Amino acid sequence: MMICLVLFLGGCSPFMESHLTENNLIEEIAPVIFWSVNKGEEGKLKVSTLVPPLTDEKKRLNTLEVDLLKQGEKGFNLTYYREVKTGQLRMMLINEEVAKDGLLPVITTLLVDTDVSQRLYLVIVKGDFEEYMSKQIEKQENLDYFIYRMLKHYEDDKGEITVINLHQFKNYLYSPFLDPLLPVFKIEEDKFMYEGTAFFNDDKFVANVNGIEDNIVQLLATNNYLDLLPLPEQSVTLGHVQANVDTKLNDLSSISIKVKLNGSIDEYRGDKDIHDYSTIKEINKEAKVYLEKKTKEVLKQFQEWKVDPLHFGTLTLKPFEKKMDHEEWMKHWEDMEIDVEYELEFEPLTNIDTNDGDHLTH
Amino acid sequence: MKTFPLFNKSSAFDGIYLVFMLSRLQMLYYMLIMPTILVDPYMIWVIILVGAVSQLILIMISKWFSSEFAAKGYLGFVELFGERTVRILAFLGLGLILLKLSVHLLGYVEIVHQFIFFSMKPSWLIFFVLLISCYIASKGVENTIRYSVIAFLCTIWMLFLFIPFYTPPIAFLHDLYPLIPTEWSGQSWRGLLLIMASFSGAEYVLFLSPWFKRDKKTVKYFSVANGITIFEYVFLFIASLLFYGANYLSKSSYPLVNMVRYLQSPLFERIDMIVIAMFLIHFSFAIGLLLLLLYGGVRIAGGNQNQPTRIGFAACAIVVFITMIIMNELLWKDHSRQTKLIDLQMWIGAATYLLVPVVLLAALKRKGRT
Repeated sequence: MMICLVLFLGGCSPFMESHLTENNLIEEIAPVIFWSVNKGEEGKLKVSTLVPPLTDEKKRLNTLEVDLLKQGEKGFNLTYYREVKTGQLRMMLINEEVAKDGLLPVITTLLVDTDVSQRLYLVIVKGDFEEYMSKQIEKQENLDYFIYRMLKHYEDDKGEITVINLHQFKNYLYSPFLDPLLPVFKIEEDKFMYEGTAFFNDDKFVANVNGIEDNIVQLLATNNYLDLLPLPEQSVTLGHVQANVDTKLNDLSSISIKVKLNGSIDEYRGDKDIHDYSTIKEINKEAKVYLEKKTKEVLKQFQEWKVDPLHFGTLTLKPFEKKMDHEEWMKHWEDMEIDVEYELEFEPLTNIDTNDGDHLTH
Repeated sequence: MKTFPLFNKSSAFDGIYLVFMLSRLQMLYYMLIMPTILVDPYMIWVIILVGAVSQLILIMISKWFSSEFAAKGYLGFVELFGERTVRILAFLGLGLILLKLSVHLLGYVEIVHQFIFFSMKPSWLIFFVLLISCYIASKGVENTIRYSVIAFLCTIWMLFLFIPFYTPPIAFLHDLYPLIPTEWSGQSWRGLLLIMASFSGAEYVLFLSPWFKRDKKTVKYFSVANGITIFEYVFLFIASLLFYGANYLSKSSYPLVNMVRYLQSPLFERIDMIVIAMFLIHFSFAIGLLLLLLYGGVRIAGGNQNQPTRIGFAACAIVVFITMIIMNELLWKDHSRQTKLIDLQMWIGAATYLLVPVVLLAALKRKGRT
């Protein structure tokens, strides 16, 4: 549809501004679906993308060292016979080193470009993505597309990873009470895997959490749902965990967080008798203590990092009061007392013998 | 030569057409830039408040509609003010109509240029939009009034597009806080002015009173139109607040179009293109109506009592086209001048909306006494 439209307009040359005539013949353009930005030498940026994204040609990774992001786009056009177009850009993979210096320049460039969709996914990458990509492309041809599908899947179907798009990130960035967060992926030899959630102070990448801590962040803030929550220390995996979070700000010196978790016990590898009701109660209690301890630790860390990714600052907003500014809120947040309470409720076990396992041994 | 029945009256229109006409004339270009200027959540109350003021003005205008002078059209005005004054007022009105027309036309063209035809010359876009509007206008006042139904139906459904912005994960109640003004700045005054100007439109409808049935229900139809407009403005403004939050809203240009762009449809990726194209119907109705008023005004100012001619109308349209091209080059392309032009139209739109009905009613009162 778009192409027809563009072709039609291309034909009507008297209507076009002569110096602006765009030729979007599909054979002549390369609508790339991701940019990857890394730090180059001497303050330069290393920009790369995979071409061609559409046709059957053998894919290759194009990398350039540039001062400006858009210079990369221009540079590709000089080295590659198709014109690179950003209309289908779906992902921006940003290296952690670049993110530590601040994301604002990158975000501004993306926001200014009217071709770029606000649904563009932003991802922080740890490790050398270019190297991984050029190696992996031999084995997996549509790797860039698969990564996009993965993010898209978990945006709609919550429960595993944090997914943030350009629009959300930009809103977080400009709001005084919403500190941005982004997913972090790391590269380990030939694996590109989700690691956790990254936190930002203004536009600068501060730190990230992973494992159980990331799960807690997802339960409390981003998703309120987890498909699986493994707790290895209790030898138990909880499934379909739904969180009801009730946060209360008692004046500005303490905050109490009550989390109600609903779900089921999906796996147990401990040596206690799972069929016994009291065992389940015990597991429940252990998990509760463990989660409370972990959550407090995570929140303490946020206070140390001076970030508020769980957006507690929004609790200070009242319908009939003036807004606080960011600095004032951070001052309160830094030495706020935190009280965490979990309440776990799990469905009884099904599909197994609940009396005893005796008849199995006979 | 065949007659050109531009201003013929074959039958009196039912008041329901006033609903369609007024509600569309109240939702033009300002709707698209409104959230950027209002920004703060408490402006919701200001919209409702100004809507109430607008309701009072509409009651005044409906008084005019039920007066005997209104049914006579031009002659009624002459009886009220005298021919000389009417001609001077009509001449002044030409400038006002041209200004209103230019802001809405150039504003719409800029949106089309920015979102759909980026590499097309804006002059061509102005030409095409005006051509369509001229075609509609050339069908006469009656058909233009009927066309308002199409304009209404083609745009009102777009409200449904904004429902997703009211649901999680986008919507958070705290985006609407604080609900009361904590400070009142120059920007707030500008917002107030913009809302006032946005609600204007009825001051142009009152010149069409001879085409409508004289009945007591006029005020009811006006109220329905005004109610629809208040609802639409509040609904769209809250949606944009939920989507952007007050902090980013002022930085976004054309927030509503960008919001539609954010929506995803499995069939068509760029819903904003359909929406902007539909707005063409809406804008061509408003511009067509303004063209008719302009041509009528020219004839009154020039004291021409003959039948309207095709050549006269075409000449009028060509002058408008040339004016638009010049304004686009000189004023609209420069951002600061564009802001000044928009501000000027805000002042004039708000002022005419307040003054025209007041002046008319005062004249009616004076006439009634003597």
